[in-house]
Parts: sequence; C-alpha cells; structure tokens
Amino acid sequence: MNATPQPGAAALWRWRPPSAALAILFAAIVGGALVFASGANPAEAYAQIFFGALAWDNLPNTLNWATPLVGMTLVAAIPLRGGMINLGGDGQMVIGGLVAAIIPIYLPGPGPLVATAALLGAAVAAGLYAALAAWGETRHGIPMLISSLLLSYPAVGVASYIVRFPLRDTATGLPQTALVPEAARLLTLSGALNVGLLIIAAIALVVLFVDRRTVAGFELRMRGANVRFAGYGGVRLDRQAMRVMFASGAIAGLVGAIIVLGSQFRFIDDALLTPSYTWSGLMAALLANGEPAGAILAGLFFAALQTGGFAMQRETSVPRVLTIVLQSIVILFLAVRHGVEKRS
Amino acid sequence: MTVLELEAKGIVKRYGALLANDRVDLFVGRGEIHAVMGENGAGKSTLMSILYGLQQPDEGRILLRGEEVHFRSALDAIAHGMGMVHQAFKLFNSLTVWENIVYGAEPRRGAFIDRRAARGGVADLAARRRLAVDPDAVVGKLSVGVRQRVEILKALYREARILILDEPTAVLTPQERDGLFHVMRRLAAEGRTILFVTHKLHEVMAITDRVTVLRDGRVVERMKTGETTAREIVRAMTGRSVSLNVDKAPARPGAPLLEAVDLTVASLGGKPLVDKVSLRVRAGEIVGLAGVAGNGQTELVEALVGLRRLDGGKALVGGVDVTGADVAARREAGIAYMPEDRATVGSALAASAADNLAMGFHRGPPLARRGLIDSAAITNRARALIAKFGVKIVSERAPVGSLSGGNLQKVVVARELSHEAPVLIAEQPTRGLDVGATEFIHRQLVAERNDGRAVLLVSAELSEILALSDRILVMYEGRILADVPQERASEETLGLLMAGRAPEAA
Repeated sequence: MNATPQPGAAALWRWRPPSAALAILFAAIVGGALVFASGANPAEAYAQIFFGALAWDNLPNTLNWATPLVGMTLVAAIPLRGGMINLGGDGQMVIGGLVAAIIPIYLPGPGPLVATAALLGAAVAAGLYAALAAWGETRHGIPMLISSLLLSYPAVGVASYIVRFPLRDTATGLPQTALVPEAARLLTLSGALNVGLLIIAAIALVVLFVDRRTVAGFELRMRGANVRFAGYGGVRLDRQAMRVMFASGAIAGLVGAIIVLGSQFRFIDDALLTPSYTWSGLMAALLANGEPAGAILAGLFFAALQTGGFAMQRETSVPRVLTIVLQSIVILFLAVRHGVEKRS
Repeated sequence: MTVLELEAKGIVKRYGALLANDRVDLFVGRGEIHAVMGENGAGKSTLMSILYGLQQPDEGRILLRGEEVHFRSALDAIAHGMGMVHQAFKLFNSLTVWENIVYGAEPRRGAFIDRRAARGGVADLAARRRLAVDPDAVVGKLSVGVRQRVEILKALYREARILILDEPTAVLTPQERDGLFHVMRRLAAEGRTILFVTHKLHEVMAITDRVTVLRDGRVVERMKTGETTAREIVRAMTGRSVSLNVDKAPARPGAPLLEAVDLTVASLGGKPLVDKVSLRVRAGEIVGLAGVAGNGQTELVEALVGLRRLDGGKALVGGVDVTGADVAARREAGIAYMPEDRATVGSALAASAADNLAMGFHRGPPLARRGLIDSAAITNRARALIAKFGVKIVSERAPVGSLSGGNLQKVVVARELSHEAPVLIAEQPTRGLDVGATEFIHRQLVAERNDGRAVLLVSAELSEILALSDRILVMYEGRILADVPQERASEETLGLLMAGRAPEAA
C-alpha cells in the first residue's frame, strides 16, 4: 500500500459540504416524507411555501414577519457570539412592548418625539432587565442560562397583570391597553410595512460593523472562542457580560416596541409571545453559531419558511406546523454533525 | 536480549492524511526496561495506545510472547497481561486505595463484593511487592507519588506482565522519582517488562536497558543504553545536534520590578493556598520558583497577574502598587505572562493565529484606533511575529488549534515577548515540549534577562530551574521555604525542600 495519500485525495477527504446547506436539504427530505405519509403531495406543499413567501405580492408579508424574527435573532446571536446565552427574550420583548404602549398613552407632545421616547424607553427598560441576568451571574454565580430564562416569567406575568387590571382598556374590556395615539405610531412605508423594518435593518448593520471592525467586537469574539483566554488577555469579563446583555435586551425591547407601535397599536396580553419569535430567533442564531451575518440570513430564511407555511396551510391540507418541524430538524441535524465532529 | 516478550511489526496508523505510525517495529525483551523516546508528534502516544488496545492499527501485527494478538479494547489488552499507568492518573479520589485497586476486578461472594478478601488481597500484594501503601487510605488524601504506586498496584493486581509508564516522573519530586526507579528495577528483576515513555534524557540514561527512538512516525534508532550517550539520543530524536546546556553570563540584577508582600490567597475552609508569600524579582535576573505541582505556585501567579483576588498582602510592579488592579491594568503596568496551560488559558484554539497574536494589543495603536480594529495591521504584525519566531503554520488565518504543542507555545511566547514588558512571568514554559522547542524557549528567556527584564520562572522541572535561574525559591504548601542562590543549589537539596523538609541551618 502507498504510505502517503495523494494530495488530491487528501483534499477531497477534508472537504465537507457546508453544514447548514446539508441540514436544510436533509430537513426538506424528512419533511417531504412526513407530508407524503400524511397523504399530501410534498412537491405541492413546498411550492406553496416557496411562492407564499417569495412571490412579489407576498414579499411585504414576509418582510413584516422577518422584522421581529431577525430582531430576535440578533438578540440571541449577540450573546452567543461571546459564548453566552440569553433565554429571556420573551420577557425583555414584553417589557419593551408594554413600556412602548404606556409612554405614548401618558406622555403628551408631538407624535414623532413621543414615538422616539417610547422606542428609547422600551430599549433601556428591557436592556436593564436583561443586564440583571448578567449581574446575577457575575455577582452571585447564577448561570445566565438559568437567570435569563427565569427572569422572563415574572416580566411576562406582571405585564399580563398590568393589562388585565390597572391598565385594562375600558372600551373593549379585553386584556389590553388603550390604543396608542395615531401621531405616535410608526410611519408606514407602504402597505403593511412600517419604519420598524428600517430600524431593525439599521441595527443589523450596526451589529455587523461592531462584530467585524471594532475592539468590542474583537473582544466578544475572543470570549466566544475561549473565555479564559479573553480574561487572561485583559478583557474585563464582568463588564463585558453586562454590556452585551444590555445590548441584547435593548434590541428585544425594541422589537416589542416596534410590534406595538407599528402593527398592533396597543399592548395586547400574549400577542407578542404567540408567534414565538424569541425561539425562532434563538434557533437562527444557533444555526450560525452566533456569527451575525449567518444568523441574519438564517433569520430571514426562517421568516420566509414560516410565512410560506401560512400560504401552504391555506392552499393545501398540510398544517403550517410542518414549517416548525422543518426548522427543528435543521437544528437537530446541525447539532448531530457538531457532536460527530467533536468526537472524531 | 534474552527472550522476546513483546514484538510489534510494521505498525501503521493513519489519521486522515497524517501518518502517525509508519511501519514501526518494536522489540522488547522479557525483564527489560525499554525507553520509547521521541519529540512531540513522533508517534509515541499512538504506538502506546495501540499496544494497550485503545486504538487499532491500520496495518501490522503485535506478538506477545511469540503469539499474535489482536486487542479490540484496553480490557482485552489487560486480559493479556498489559498494564498502563497514564500521565494523568485514572483513580477515584473519594474511594480508598483497596477499592481503587480492585475496581472492575472485585473478588465476589455471590452478588456481593467480598470486601474482606479484596482488602486482604490488596494488603498482601502491597507487602509482597514492597510497595508501601495503606489499603484503607482515601486516594484523594495521598501524595502524588503514592497515588502513582496505587496505579502500579492496580496493574499488578490484574497480573500485568508488561507495564507501560507514560511520562511517570513528570509529577514527582526527585526522591519520589528515585523510589519509582527502585520499584521499576525490582519489577524488571522479577521478569516483568517495562515500557518507559519519557522526554527526560537523564532518566533514560539512569534506568533503561534499551532505547527505541521515534521520529516522524518512524523508528530511527534502536540502541543499548549502555552503549550510547544522551547527546546521541538527542541527535536521533531531532535529527540534528542540540545544545543541552544553557550558556549565560553571571546576573547583574538591578532594581526590583516585581514584588509580593505577604501575599495571601485563602481557600474555602482549609489552609491558605498561598500563605503570606513575599518575593522580589529584580531587573536582569531569572528567579526560579520550584515546587511539586499543587503547592500554591499556580495560585500565586494568578494573584500576581490579576486573575485571582488577593485575600491579603500586596503586589507591586515596577514599584507601583497593583493590588487592586485588574488584568488589563497590570499588563499596562508591565507584566507579560506565559500561562501554565497554553491551550486553555494562553490561546483560543478556534481563533486564528492573527487574532491570538493580537490579544492584549488589540485596544490601542497600532492595531486599533478610536475603538476600531485595523485588520491590516493585525495581519502584518502576525506575519512578522510568525516569521521572527519561526512558527510553523500555513497562514496567519489558520486556527492555532491545528498547531503542535511546541508551535502553539511559540505563538504564546511571541505574543508575550513582543509586549517588551519589564516583568515576565513564565509558568511551565516548556512542559510537554520536545528538546528543540525547549532549547528555543530557554534561549528566549535568557535573552530577556540579559535585556534587563525581571523573569519569574515557575517550573516543576528541576533541571530547567537549575539551568536557567539565578536564584531559586522553593514553594511548599503555600509558603516559600527557601531562597537559594543558583551556585548553592543542587537537585538533592531542592528535592528535599520540595518535599517539605526544612532547610538545614547553613
């Protein structure tokens, strides 16, 4: 036998198809099999998802869905880039949404100014709440994975109480706040699209810039690569964790505010959580392992998939839950591959 | 060679494109102490794990007492009389000595472990082998040397006829090492065979009968220890001749640059890990901090560089009190630091060499301005350092996790020396490195000292401490027992101090 393998063969042996593409392909096959087993036509289901998401008329819908989802993707991706996990997106988003509903109702003044105040207030309140989880870890040793998740429940519960009792809308009697004055709502771009889309797009660009070009981004990446190395190199880990969680929570708060000020015009109990943007965003971030460009793409992909799911449910007998199944399979497949690579 | 106990013929093991063992032949006679030597990456560990059944060879045969064997697992190998003592002990610290020894091979009575028989068997074995150990002692409370004895007993309890000892002396004091050699000789005299894997030349010269030297996965030399010299072994290992001694002029120390005053690090509950340590390292000298691992050296260094909070005392750099300062501020004040654990502290394996080399310099010019990173500057700096220190790497974009231990350490050394900080703390700078890389790093440390820097060298390797230091401190149970000028230090006196014997009044 030849002792030294051919260089070409070695290169081929080392070549691996990109994990994400393979995972998506694999998920499509499994999903197709599921659809087929339930007696429907997989090709038709996928075609409906595709056109439902990307046909010209449906694009605004997809973008509208993508705005909060990509926002929540960034919420998860920023800490993940540094090896931290923020599981409290739900609570932070709810705090942002509630603050954004309350400020315009009580703060008089010119509309755009009030809207700006509402957005900023939402970001700061949610950011501080998220930073609390980091403080719990650095000061008291509560793992952030746990503290961020557990802090989410009281926030959601208290917000629910507030809109059921003290701030309940007396006109409808439903668990929701009164309507936000029209002047303080986000500007409409066209049809269902509003300025919120631009805000999230701008934030995405800022995140990309910070990640690639700034000292803070470098330090966060190094923390993600090896937290002990970052500490040894002089990164102030405690302060970094607080700042990163503040940024992450602030974006979650903005997402809540954008939904309230841009499409629902009031804080409705549970309405922010039903679409589970937090969890889709977390999955998208995991898919890219926190790398922002990849995470944003994954977020867009999931948004398209989910919007397409609505179309598929309308046009065929396949329920839209299939798209959530596809999403999960993609993640599971990636996790398996990572595990396999680590072992070998 | 009398009778062949173990033969390996034409062993080939590939990891992807890498050929870890390339038609290796190994012949070991019964009752022989046989050294397997080679630089890192030469294929020693691969060969040993094949012989112990942890890995299967792609080609080749293993013959045990003339019969071909195929080990599918370590249990298989043990059943054929192989035993291995790993560098990191595989013992349960919370269990007693006898429980550890019989684990997995317990004498039974029905469904129950026959505790009396087990304990008795162990006590008996220890007495017969003259390996003094209390069968009822809890392993976690034993010294490292005794734990190693437990590992050897564990192998003997399973009737091991061939013992593989992987770097067994790395954690021992010189006296413990001599004890181990004693045991090895006795076992060999009984007809047991010992495979001794090590980097340390003087140990090979002192105890082995034969040496097999590997380089790049191949056997390059087979020698009788009595008929060779340390220099020849090194030449076989490296393929060139390497200076084994460090040349340096007498020290001309200047002002103290690194000081600790009554520095204390408490532990949870027990004795302080670092107990009121005072030390002073002056410009232009290398101070060696000797001691058996686990006597507070790590904690002392962490407290000096700012990775650990002080529970008392002060730390000074260049005369400035840095007791309350964090890592970044202390680096600013003038500390460069090569940590003990280069893979988990000193580098980010998944990150590129460029990023690894930039760490600590990434906040200010020339690598960053007003919070913005200059990637071109980072790349240029990385290229320059890689060339200057001769790091073998494909490109500065490649992750450092792909490097060998020696090359990874060169990355750490390159980064820390380029700080040109007045104080350099080098912790186990050559642990696990081969002769060539060790020589390189030793030369760098001496050059730093000659340039007027204060170097604190922490090492468990006495020969390294003796070769490099101008002054030697010995640490034992959190305290500094002695401060010995290099001329008056010997392996013997230091060894006694490392074992906690008070210095005789001199």
